[in-house]
Amino acid sequence: MAGFILRRLAQAIFAVLAVTLLVSFAIRLTGDPALMLTQGAGSITEADLVRIREALGVNRPFFVQYLEFLRGIVTFDLGRSFLGGTPVSQLIGTALPATLALAFWSMFVSIVLSIPLGIKAATSRGGWIDQTIRIVSLVGLSFPNFWLAIMFVLIFSITFNLLPPSGLSGASSYIMPAMTMGIIMTAVNVRLVRTTMLETLNSQYIMVARAKGLSETKVLYKHALRNCAIPIVTYLGVQFGGLLGGIVVVERVFNWPGLGTLAFDAVGGRDYPVLQATIFVLSLMIIGVNLLVDIAYGLIDPRIRTE
Amino acid sequence: MASIKLGMTSTFMALALAGVAFGAAPASAAGKVTVSIATDPGSWDPVDTFLVAWGSVGSNIFDGLTSRDTNAKIGPGLATSWEVLDNGLRVRFALREGVKFHNGEAFNADAVKYTFDRLLGEEGAKGPQRANYTSIDRVEVIDEKTVDFHLKAADPVLITKLAGYGAMIVPPQYIKEKGEDYFNAHPVGTGPFSFVAYNAKIDLQLKANPDYWGGAAKISELDYRFISEPATAVAELQAGRVDLVIDLPISLIPVVEGDSKLAVESTTGPVVNGLRFNTKDGITKDERVRKALIMAVDRATIIQSLLGGQATEIASFQSALSFGDDPSLKPLPYDPAKAKALLAEAGVKPGTPVQIDIRSGNPTFNEVSQAIAAYLQTVGINATVKPYETNVFLNDIVPQGKTGAMFQQSWGGWTLDYDNTAYLLYHSGQKWNPYDADPKLDTMLEEQRPMTDVGQREKLLQGIAGYIADKALEMPLYNLNAIYGVNKRVKDFVAAPDNRVKLNEVSVAE
Repeated sequence: MAGFILRRLAQAIFAVLAVTLLVSFAIRLTGDPALMLTQGAGSITEADLVRIREALGVNRPFFVQYLEFLRGIVTFDLGRSFLGGTPVSQLIGTALPATLALAFWSMFVSIVLSIPLGIKAATSRGGWIDQTIRIVSLVGLSFPNFWLAIMFVLIFSITFNLLPPSGLSGASSYIMPAMTMGIIMTAVNVRLVRTTMLETLNSQYIMVARAKGLSETKVLYKHALRNCAIPIVTYLGVQFGGLLGGIVVVERVFNWPGLGTLAFDAVGGRDYPVLQATIFVLSLMIIGVNLLVDIAYGLIDPRIRTE
Repeated sequence: MASIKLGMTSTFMALALAGVAFGAAPASAAGKVTVSIATDPGSWDPVDTFLVAWGSVGSNIFDGLTSRDTNAKIGPGLATSWEVLDNGLRVRFALREGVKFHNGEAFNADAVKYTFDRLLGEEGAKGPQRANYTSIDRVEVIDEKTVDFHLKAADPVLITKLAGYGAMIVPPQYIKEKGEDYFNAHPVGTGPFSFVAYNAKIDLQLKANPDYWGGAAKISELDYRFISEPATAVAELQAGRVDLVIDLPISLIPVVEGDSKLAVESTTGPVVNGLRFNTKDGITKDERVRKALIMAVDRATIIQSLLGGQATEIASFQSALSFGDDPSLKPLPYDPAKAKALLAEAGVKPGTPVQIDIRSGNPTFNEVSQAIAAYLQTVGINATVKPYETNVFLNDIVPQGKTGAMFQQSWGGWTLDYDNTAYLLYHSGQKWNPYDADPKLDTMLEEQRPMTDVGQREKLLQGIAGYIADKALEMPLYNLNAIYGVNKRVKDFVAAPDNRVKLNEVSVAE
């Protein structure tokens, strides 16, 4: 088992390194941060640009810069933003909790909506309720998240002035962004819950439970749901990674001060240190969650370890 | 029981104290204004950035030796007067008396010297600002309230540049004691508002400086929120959580106009847009073709229909506010028949392809260029629009001369002096001039720079603009207004051309 964990861990570290290396390299192909910084400046000469590049440290070879970034990770010093010089760790320190909190509440919305709806669809299989839920979730799947976000803002902020249209200022700020992300995820999750539930309901032990005369609610929520939980929870774990990726757009629409906004601004400003650090943190989380799922599986099912 | 009692007593005391604090607030300065700006410059140190967003905020925290009013005219700031001496190689400034920085430190000649030593020294070398002030050799303290600027070469734009960005005067003691990093995030200046709190990427909070030399602000608090998505900023404006949106995009004007609580305020801005030609190769090498393409496009209609009238036609790459603008210079008229004739004369066959390169991400200019392409079709030119990612376009396509026959040029020109535009756009070897090498133009551009006679210099600049128009080096399009979305509860707001909106005169109706 220890061997399996070590192997998976090595793979995860390699994946994180590969992602950061690629992103660091790619962003350097897209433009010179010194030129970005001086865009509005009047009489910039080549000598000025050379000086600024030197001050930013981008005049050195790529691998030197990348190794420095890796050293920064080990020494917990991620450098400073090119745009103004705020320490990157400070920027990540405020953005990461904001993103995690949004991701958590989005998951929460999705779970609260998709489990009862999925079960309802499964139990009324083929009926009009099932059809409606399936059609609505299909429509939900096809929604672009920014469109849903804009609709929410139009309705709840502008027309009824109930919720703040953007920013993070108190609990009410969470409602619209979490609903946007949550509803999009629900569309997928409802189908998953429905399918898993159908499979479970056909299994023998459910028939036994019913034969024993248990109430239908007890059968569903106590016996069936518990057994469906394994694939659903696994999928939610994987979905969490996707959620972090998809959060960029939603964060931008709601001006959410999270990692997505940070990454977006960093790309626009060619802010290498901030982008590298943001991608590092995001990949660490996504790959980390997958690693945990893998290890948990390995613990449960010995066949996976020897694969 | 005793502890509950104690708790209650202290609560009452706190409430009473709070009451006293509120009661003590001056009645004349009340109310908060919240402003949305698109980007967080990341540092409030004047030497660190060139973002217009910095200028919007910085103008309320700091002052320069000179200042620019809402009509973009230069006047006294922390200097009350100045004299240009030694053929423009020395400028003597008389400094304002009795001015203090927000931390109580006195503003004097030493502060001016420190500011420019810092800008031209090691700290300034790390940022983009220094390049604009390299004509300054050194600053000499004559006495407590007088300084001399010794220049390496006469710089006609210097007085204008002293009103903004890197030239803002900073407090020497404060920076020396607290350090550069602390100053970045906790700015101290002499301006109408002083620093309260800064949350990177979220907001910046300021409060009125009661001792401001220009008169205390009429509002007590001024908050800036960083909102990068314009639609989100407008949603905040509609929801009443933001009072002022700087740089309102044209596409969102109808939304603001449609809300009875809000208003659109606009004024002539410094930003000009046009298309430049590849004058080196292809059909646009021929001056007649360039003129024909200009005449084929109805710019007035584009302004009215696509830009909501929020722009004016230009004849050269500058706005009416710019020093060097010649009101008598007129753009070539819209004349498709003449355009066709010129194209035929130049031997351009109908259906000849032309590529227009633009920056992506600006929906307004995207529409404008589509319209231009359509106009060109009507004279038999098969124009296609090719959008590039902005940074690729600015860093690779234009400077390397890899553009199509025509390419977008948008120019801000914060100094509002044509030299700053023309030199970089037309002088041989400049980054923004990939195609032309015209010794005559180079001489004209070099000649005006050291000139101290303002009238003569203006004539030369106008001559340069006329020369470029004659050669049809570009298709001048329009000068975009500076547009703001404002909540009507804000009184006495005057739109600033350059987004450097000073808010000490506005008040709010609660």
